[in-house]
Amino acid sequence: MLNWNLYSRGDKFFAIAVSVLVGMFTIATLYPFIYIAAVSFSSGFAAQAGKVVLTPIDATVEAYKYILVKPEFWISYRNTFIYTIGGTIVSMLFIIPGAYALSRPQLFGRRFFNLFIAFTMWFNAGLIPFYLNMRDLHLLDSMFGIILAFAVNAFNIILLRNFFEAIPSSFEEAARMDGANEFQVLWKVFIPLSKPAIATVTLFCIVSRWNGFFWAMVLLSSSEKIPLQVFLRHTLATLSDDDEFAITQLEAAYSAETVTAAIIVCSIIPVLLVYPWIQKYFEKGILLGGVKE
Amino acid sequence: MSGVQLSQLVKRYGDIEVVKAIDLEVQPHEFVVLVGPSGCGKSTTLRMIAGLEEISAGSVTINDRVVNRVAPKDRDVAMVFQNYALYPHLNVADNIAFGLRIRKTPKDEVDRLVAEVADILGLTDYLKRRPADLSGGQRQRVAMGRAIVRHPMVFLFDEPLSNLDAKLRSQMRAEIKRLHKRLDVTSIYVTHDQVEAMTLADRIVVMNDGLIEQVGTPMDLFLNPANTFVAGFIGSPPMNQFDALVSGSPEAPIAEIGDQRMALPSLPELSERIGSKVTVGIRPEHAQVLTPSEHLVHVQLEIVETLGSEALLHTTLENNPFIIKTETEGYYSKLEEVSAFSVDPAQVKVFDIETGRVFGQSGA
Repeated sequence: MLNWNLYSRGDKFFAIAVSVLVGMFTIATLYPFIYIAAVSFSSGFAAQAGKVVLTPIDATVEAYKYILVKPEFWISYRNTFIYTIGGTIVSMLFIIPGAYALSRPQLFGRRFFNLFIAFTMWFNAGLIPFYLNMRDLHLLDSMFGIILAFAVNAFNIILLRNFFEAIPSSFEEAARMDGANEFQVLWKVFIPLSKPAIATVTLFCIVSRWNGFFWAMVLLSSSEKIPLQVFLRHTLATLSDDDEFAITQLEAAYSAETVTAAIIVCSIIPVLLVYPWIQKYFEKGILLGGVKE
Repeated sequence: MSGVQLSQLVKRYGDIEVVKAIDLEVQPHEFVVLVGPSGCGKSTTLRMIAGLEEISAGSVTINDRVVNRVAPKDRDVAMVFQNYALYPHLNVADNIAFGLRIRKTPKDEVDRLVAEVADILGLTDYLKRRPADLSGGQRQRVAMGRAIVRHPMVFLFDEPLSNLDAKLRSQMRAEIKRLHKRLDVTSIYVTHDQVEAMTLADRIVVMNDGLIEQVGTPMDLFLNPANTFVAGFIGSPPMNQFDALVSGSPEAPIAEIGDQRMALPSLPELSERIGSKVTVGIRPEHAQVLTPSEHLVHVQLEIVETLGSEALLHTTLENNPFIIKTETEGYYSKLEEVSAFSVDPAQVKVFDIETGRVFGQSGA
């Protein structure tokens, strides 16, 4: 039990203020999830009337029925998986060796390369030049183009590079004395030692791929190539524009709001399933015990 | 079997020379300890032998082969690191087997070698544990296991015991010595601890400021230090040193410090120094307080440190700190009254006040 007598008045105030703030952040983060889930299970009328606050009103699964029978939903869902899994794998194939190389003192021109990579975090060519570049590379409306174009992310490289740099050099030296070449040092020593950092970067890649919306919308035109987020937007646009739908909405068991919410819920579920599996690597100090400084 | 030769070995970082053209010959099977204060270049020298540091000039020869341009893994040397550098994601057996697996040793051979090494080091019961679940001494043993399993021609130790507590350190010291006796592999060991150097080495190399000050057996260095640096580094506590004026005759030179007089050994170099200053060195154990003598040197006792069978008397000799090491057996109650000591002139060392070189010794 917490013994309050051990704390000064200032400490108590601080502890209370921290609890209140953290509580507020938690609510602010959690509430949208609850709200969206509640809307997705509410009737179209109730959702449109803005009656949903915390729990579904006139509970129904009509919105889910509407989307789950649509083949486009499943195609876009599959595409999102392809972009996420393929994109993450390709990203890691670039990021891990890149970060390792940039972390090695023996890399010729290391400062120069590091500066250039960091430079892209602050400045980039902008929307139209990037689009034109993709067009000239014949990567418009291409699934491969989406995967390749966003494979390398300077922030992730720098994150992992910093982690690699913090690994004591004696690990590398011991491995080299044991006969390991550069690739074996990376594969057998640095990657196992960096599981927490690699898990973090992987999660960043997964989430950004999963939620990737803007460039997919700009670059992809075929409906069989779009990811879920773009499909969501299409659905939203179609439902709102649909006159017939608007006329019958008073009796409708679903509306643009509930359908949107249902798609969002469907799209959140896989990320929620993956996170706990990766999360165990986050706080685990795997370096403990190997060296003594 | 193989020895190691360093010739005119230099390490430069930019304009700074940290190892200044040193020469050293390590005989096959020999246990050589490089010792010196931090920054003296001893670790850098070891790392150049290992191949972890580039050689700026000169050469390293292992087993009659110049290895300046040979990768560490192809030099057939193994190294034990100060911080162990055990792979935390692998258990003890896999840590020991790491180098063998990298070299594509057949699986049953790996198992046999790991079992053999675990037996030598008493690690058999811990093979499935991770480094995090081991004590400091066990980790140190695993680090050694990783080195010996490959049967290298040369072992390199980079301050392997400095992370252990004092008791464990003396245990592991004995274990390393036993291991060297058993395996009989050429070993080069770096430490800043002169006790480790004295107890482990066949020969000690005292380094200072990138240079070798003296090479010799532990007793050689203890009894015949080549200069004031070695005299002040080897021995615990180190040799007392103070400046004194030489007087008397060439046959019977005398050191004068303040009002005190002390007989010096009759050395040829001293005859030219009469009337000038020298540095005088006396080992703490050579100052006798318990035997009556006519030639007493008076000191002011400050504190008595009792170590059990011995005691250290911290005194001042004409404002120079002077430590006397003496037995306590039967004399303990009298130690507080000590006010003078005597010393056999043959055991007094005399050094050049400018260069610090000892008088009366050729070579060194």
